[in-house]
Amino acid sequence: MGEVAKLLADHGPAFGQALLLTWKLTALSFVPGVLLGLGVAMLRLFPLPPLRWVLTLYVETFRNIPSVALLIFIVFALPDLEFVIDYEPSVVLTLVLVCSAFTADYVRSGINTIPGGQIEAALSLGMRPARIIWSVVLPQALRSVVQPMTSLLIALMLSTSLASQVPFPGRELTTLVSKIATDSAAGMAAFAVAAAMYVATGLLIAWAGAALDRKLRILR
Amino acid sequence: MNRSLEDILFGAPTPRARTLSRGMSVVAAGVLLLLAAGIVWRFHAAGQLDARYWKFFAWPTTWAFLAKGLLGTLASAAMAAVIALSLGLVLLAGRLARTRLVRWPAVAAIEFLRGTPTLLLIYVCFLVLPSVGVKLGTYWMLTLPIGLSTAAVVAEVYRSGVLAVPRGQADAARSLGMTEIQVFFSIVFPQALRYIVPALVAQLVIVVKDTTFGYVVTYGELMQNARVLIANYHSLVPVYLIVAALYCLVNYAISRASRRLGRPMH
Repeated sequence: MGEVAKLLADHGPAFGQALLLTWKLTALSFVPGVLLGLGVAMLRLFPLPPLRWVLTLYVETFRNIPSVALLIFIVFALPDLEFVIDYEPSVVLTLVLVCSAFTADYVRSGINTIPGGQIEAALSLGMRPARIIWSVVLPQALRSVVQPMTSLLIALMLSTSLASQVPFPGRELTTLVSKIATDSAAGMAAFAVAAAMYVATGLLIAWAGAALDRKLRILR
Repeated sequence: MNRSLEDILFGAPTPRARTLSRGMSVVAAGVLLLLAAGIVWRFHAAGQLDARYWKFFAWPTTWAFLAKGLLGTLASAAMAAVIALSLGLVLLAGRLARTRLVRWPAVAAIEFLRGTPTLLLIYVCFLVLPSVGVKLGTYWMLTLPIGLSTAAVVAEVYRSGVLAVPRGQADAARSLGMTEIQVFFSIVFPQALRYIVPALVAQLVIVVKDTTFGYVVTYGELMQNARVLIANYHSLVPVYLIVAALYCLVNYAISRASRRLGRPMH
C-alpha cells in the first residue's frame, strides 16, 4: 500500500490525465463508430446488390482484422501511399472503423428480432420502405442492442490501450504504466492503479448500460 | 414461413420501384468502381505497384517465413485457448460456490482480468515481472496474459450457459442420488456447452487477434515476422496488406465455423 501512496504522490496528476485521455479516446471513437455502423446497417437493407456486397466486405474485414494490425497499417503504411494521418487521429480512426463494423453487425441482429408482421402492417398502411426503416425498424432495433453495445463500449475502452503502440505526446493509462515501469521500479504499483481505473470505468459503463437496458428493452 | 426483413420490405416492388432500384444499383456499382480505381491509382502514383515491392512474394521462402509466423500465432492462440478453457472452469466453480469466502475472490479475479486490457497485462509480464525476478520466455509473455484475460470472459460465458440449463435437470439428477460433481459434469455442463459454443468460438477469434501483440515481446508470430520481412525488403504496404488479409481469412474461417456449430441441434 505504501508503494501505491508514494506512486500517487509522484504521478497522481499524470494518472488523472491518462484516465481522462483514455475516456476521451473512447468517446471520440464510440460516437462516430456507432453512427457509421448504424448507417452501414441501414444501407445494407436496401436492394442494391453492389452496395450490399461492398458493405458486407467492409463489415467482415473490420470485424476480423486485429486492431493493432489496422493501426500499424494506418500509421506506418498509409504514409507510403502519401496519406499521412497524425498519431492520435490514427488511433481514433482505427477504433472508429472497428466499432462501426461491430455496431453494424449487432444492429443487424437487433433488426432480426423485429417480427415481420410489423413490416407488413406498415406496408399495408402505405408507408414507403425508407420511412419504415426510419420509424419502425430503427427505433426497435436500437432498443434491443443496448446490451451488446455496452459490451462493445467496454471493449473499445480497453482497446484504447492500443495508443501505447504509437508515439503520440499524450499518455493514456497503458502508455503511462509502460513508461513508469521502464523508468522506475514502481511498475507493479502503477499497474495496480491503472488496472483499478480500467476496472472501475468498465463497471461504471456496465452499470449504466444495464440501467438503460432495463428501461428500453422490449419484452417479446 | 420465415422471410427476411428485406424480403418483406422490398419483396414485391412495383415496376417503377424495380426500375429505380436497378438504376440505383448501376450508379452504386459505378461509384464503387471509381473508388476502387482511385485506390489503385493512389498505389500507382505512390509507386507502390513497382515490381520491387512485390517480387519477393513470388519466392517460396517468403511464404515459408509467413507460414512459420502463422504457425507461431496459432501455437500461442491454441495454448491461450487451453488455459482459458480450463482456468475458466476453475473460476466458474469459484463464482458458483455457496460460501462467500470462495465466491468473492473469484468475482474479484474475474472482474479484474476481464476489466484490464490484455495489452496492459502483456506489458506487466514483459516489463514488470522481470524486475521482481520472474523471467518468462517470449512465448509465455504473450500467451499467459491472453490466456488469463480470456479465462475470465470464458468463465462468464460458462456461467451464462449453466444458468440457461433448466433447474429441473439438476434437481432430477440429485434426486437420483448423484453427487454434486456428477450433477455438474454429467448433466449440467454438457447441456450448457451446447448453448455457448458460438460464444466460445467468438472468443477464439479474439484470442487470435490478441496474439498480434506478439511483436511487443518479439515473439515470432505473424505480425512480428511481417516486420522482419519489411525490414529486409523495405516493402511496407504490400506486406501489411497481405498480413492483414491473412488475419482476416483465419478469423473469418473461425467465425464461419462457429456459425455452423451455432445452428440449433434438434
